[in-house]
Amino acid sequence: MTSKRSSILTAVMLLLILAVVPMQARQGTSTPVPQVQAPGSAPATPRPAPAFYRNLVVLDPAHGGRDSGSQISGTAAEKDITLTLAQKLRPALVAQGFTVVTTRDSDPADELPTEFRAGIANHNRPIACVLLHATGSGAGVHVVYSSLPEAKEKPSTAVLPWERAQVPMIAMSSRLANELGLALENAHIQALLFRASVPPIDNLICPAVAVEVSPLKSDSGKSVPVTDSSYQQRVVDAIAAAVASFRTDNAPAPSQSSAGHAGVSQ
Amino acid sequence: MIPRYQRIMFWILISCILLIGAFLLRGCREAHKRLTALNDATPLAAPITTATEDVTFYMASDADGVIRPVRSEVGLPQDASLKARALLENLLAQYSQPDSAHPLQSGPSVDDVFLSAEDVPAGGKRTIFVNLHGSFADNHPSGIEVEQLTLNSIIGTLHAAFPEFEEVRFMVDGQSRATLAGHASLDHPYALTDTSLSPTTPSEAATLP
Repeated sequence: MTSKRSSILTAVMLLLILAVVPMQARQGTSTPVPQVQAPGSAPATPRPAPAFYRNLVVLDPAHGGRDSGSQISGTAAEKDITLTLAQKLRPALVAQGFTVVTTRDSDPADELPTEFRAGIANHNRPIACVLLHATGSGAGVHVVYSSLPEAKEKPSTAVLPWERAQVPMIAMSSRLANELGLALENAHIQALLFRASVPPIDNLICPAVAVEVSPLKSDSGKSVPVTDSSYQQRVVDAIAAAVASFRTDNAPAPSQSSAGHAGVSQ
Repeated sequence: MIPRYQRIMFWILISCILLIGAFLLRGCREAHKRLTALNDATPLAAPITTATEDVTFYMASDADGVIRPVRSEVGLPQDASLKARALLENLLAQYSQPDSAHPLQSGPSVDDVFLSAEDVPAGGKRTIFVNLHGSFADNHPSGIEVEQLTLNSIIGTLHAAFPEFEEVRFMVDGQSRATLAGHASLDHPYALTDTSLSPTTPSEAATLP
């Protein structure tokens, strides 16, 4: 008697399961309805600006390997000076509470492609990307940000064109350049701000500036070369102070204290 | 037994031969360099009329990063392409003067200038193609400021002379090139605009969101 009842119950349960499962499956895989866009409406939902880590900075010592950059003096090549600047800038930024990622820590055998440098910066999503350059011409420090036209509105597509990836960040890059200019002037170093297209600055999705260090002309007319260690240290201290000030103004610390990668800002 | 004076004479003569050989070798090399340089000096087509034109050169200065328009009278060919080339040759030749504020090496600078036709397709832009000489790019001072000033100087000068054109593309020896001398990008067209702008002065207000 019991076995007969249990077999009936089992059969009923099986029937119920067989009836319910296809219904759920049908609900879960509803046929996609093509979304027809009404004429005149917005083409797609704008993608929000990319998030960045407020305590992370990417340094790019320009050139390297077979690409020596400009020849500053008989023995000093630009690639060596930019590497020295990056090695001095790293502890100065760490002292300000930043985590620092560099595109190169030594002189590689081959030159680093532009796409590789941009890839490192874009992958890490830092609050600032600083491209380091040096030259024997001009005077003071040249602070450069992208010459791409500033975006009047948010990008309408989710994909940023590679050649124009910097466009949504131009306003922030301009603010970063101004912070650097002010910090350099406070350190009594002549600073020139201008816009230029310097690879890979147009391909970066972070606030980005190129800092080109050139000989310092003193009031007495004497020229201090870019190889001068104390001059390099003054420039490095000014950059670190400027990036810290940029972080304070543009990405204030969250109310709940968090450090390093935990402090994600939008 | 060879006498001592003959041995001394022998070595003196050998030394003279070597010195004369080295002197001749050096002379040959210098003559070769001179001949090679002469090969690059392709003459421009003679202008039909020698009447001078009022043109504006956008002159760069490395010290302050400024480009200033300077009016000048220059004899130019009638043909538009030749006129553009002569204009740029004249501009870049001024930078090789000893007192230049934006010193560049002397020598051939512009190979050709091509102007796009008037009837551009819909959505297209009237473009000027500037084909720079390889030696000009190779010997150009390397640096962001100095390279960008050269480009802005060319752009401003072309814009003043050919306002109907909208953009300029740069090539080197007929090929596209990533940068002029390692810094300023050449792989995209530049809008032909007035480039007589001074560098921005950093300000406190511009640092705030």
